[in-house]
Amino acid sequence: MQYLIQLLISGLAIGAIYGLIAMAFAVIYKSTGLVNFAQGEMTMIVAYVAWTISTTISGNIFVVAFGAIVAAVLLGLVIERVVMRPMLGEPVFSTVMVTIGLAVILRSSINFIWDAYPHALDLGVGRDVVRVGSIGVRTGQIAVITTLLLLLVGIWAFFRYSKFGVAMRAVAADDRTALLMGISAPRVHGFAWAASSAIAGIAGVFFALSYDLSPVMFQLGLKAFPATILGGLDAVLGSGLGGLLIGITENLAGGYVGSGMKEVAGFLMIIVVLMIRPFGIFGERDIERV
Amino acid sequence: MPGATYLRGLTGLPPIMTASPSVSPTIDPTESARESLLEFRNVRIVYDNAIEAIRDVSIAVPASGIVALLGSNGAGKSTLLKAMSGILHTEEGELENGSISFRGESVHHLAPDELVRRGIVQVPEGRRVFPALTIDENLQMGGYTKSAAETRQQREKVFGMFPRLYERRDQIAGYMSGGEQQMLAIGRALMTGPALLALDEPSLGLAPLIIDRIYEVIAKLRDEMKLTVLLVEQNAQRALDICDYAYILETGRVVLDGTARKLSANEDVQEFYLGVSGSGRKSMRDVKHYKRRKRWLS
Repeated sequence: MQYLIQLLISGLAIGAIYGLIAMAFAVIYKSTGLVNFAQGEMTMIVAYVAWTISTTISGNIFVVAFGAIVAAVLLGLVIERVVMRPMLGEPVFSTVMVTIGLAVILRSSINFIWDAYPHALDLGVGRDVVRVGSIGVRTGQIAVITTLLLLLVGIWAFFRYSKFGVAMRAVAADDRTALLMGISAPRVHGFAWAASSAIAGIAGVFFALSYDLSPVMFQLGLKAFPATILGGLDAVLGSGLGGLLIGITENLAGGYVGSGMKEVAGFLMIIVVLMIRPFGIFGERDIERV
Repeated sequence: MPGATYLRGLTGLPPIMTASPSVSPTIDPTESARESLLEFRNVRIVYDNAIEAIRDVSIAVPASGIVALLGSNGAGKSTLLKAMSGILHTEEGELENGSISFRGESVHHLAPDELVRRGIVQVPEGRRVFPALTIDENLQMGGYTKSAAETRQQREKVFGMFPRLYERRDQIAGYMSGGEQQMLAIGRALMTGPALLALDEPSLGLAPLIIDRIYEVIAKLRDEMKLTVLLVEQNAQRALDICDYAYILETGRVVLDGTARKLSANEDVQEFYLGVSGSGRKSMRDVKHYKRRKRWLS
């Protein structure tokens, strides 16, 4: 029993990281209709920037957190403005190919800006163990799960109640008509990229706190992608929960079946789920009325 | 005389194709600029740098009244509206020549949101409500450029005009009937607080009874809200019944224009667009080739 609970908790913690990145995927998909294949790479870059801040400027957790979020927002804005905006109006397929190219560029930039060795992001927090009865939980794990839940609520409220959130949904549904209503689609897209980059960046920093930084960190994106497919590409909240599901599945499979299963369990799960609900568990079926 | 008009068309001068050119009020730039709320002047629009969609079209929309743009599919009516709203670039279209002015200022270089702020709005073809948003959220999007207070005020007005929208305000717009969606699309456009409202084929795909309702609303917009309406229609009968002045477009040019009364009385319009002639109703297919040409060369 204790083994199971331990597996569940660490599954939730890693699942929360997947969930955050999956939400980042969904935010971009929901407002621009694109799958951003560079999401994992953006996560990694932000984590490296956070590490650089911690080693050069200050190791204070607030300074690092603030710096990382600012860097993430800037990264998102720059990518949107320089790479994505010229692609507006081009076929979706070519635009998605551009994000794949961007992924490769960002991935290799780690090697020439930083280096290929693993680093520990040591802020002096996150690795302490809190004991509840016989079960040990790391503070970093508690923090990331809490962050995911807070962001889930925050983003739900944003899309539901704020004018800009509703505008993002409108642009996603029909960007030309949104233009006709005076909604500036480029501004909405820029905001989506910035927000998505920040959410993914938070995930990257949490990951680096508990595990280590390394140039293969971009694979987090590959793990989070099934989470967003599972939850529904257009469902930001669903993606967050999908991340938790994938994290738990992975950990249980790894713990009970064998460590080989850990890598594939998530993908097996989405194959099964997509056979039953092709638009994801929480995804919206297109409204079609004749 | 026929030869001369044809040549004038070729050299880029405004073609004068009215049945009686002597009374045509269109092409007098100095005078119309002062009176018109919206004016297209010698506009030429090209798609993909290759396809000429609009050729040398001049249209004046005077304040507070209804002007109709008639013509069949592909005549370029919607293209003109896209140019008006500044969204040509989304379809690789470009205004190559001429100008569009609103309240005497040239506006064709402005971004779509700026045009909305200045008071130009259109209800796009096929209604285009945001399907996954509720009715209230759709209206809120219409008021995107306005402050919260203005939005609230305008929403009261729209709900007053369309009580049905108020009853269903929390429902998802995609599940409404076509007529209700058209009402919502009009309401959403009104939320921008426009001076000029353009409607692109408001009767498209709707039942005759619903079309009656839509046209009642359009008349109300003119009479009660004092809006200027630019009405794009294939349904010439309906449009001529309500408009003050109409232009007929064919393959990207204005081939005929005049007051609604004059056009309704025009024998060619009756034949080609209203489907009536001396021998009863008739389809375009039955019209003799030489008669079609006649309109170009008369």
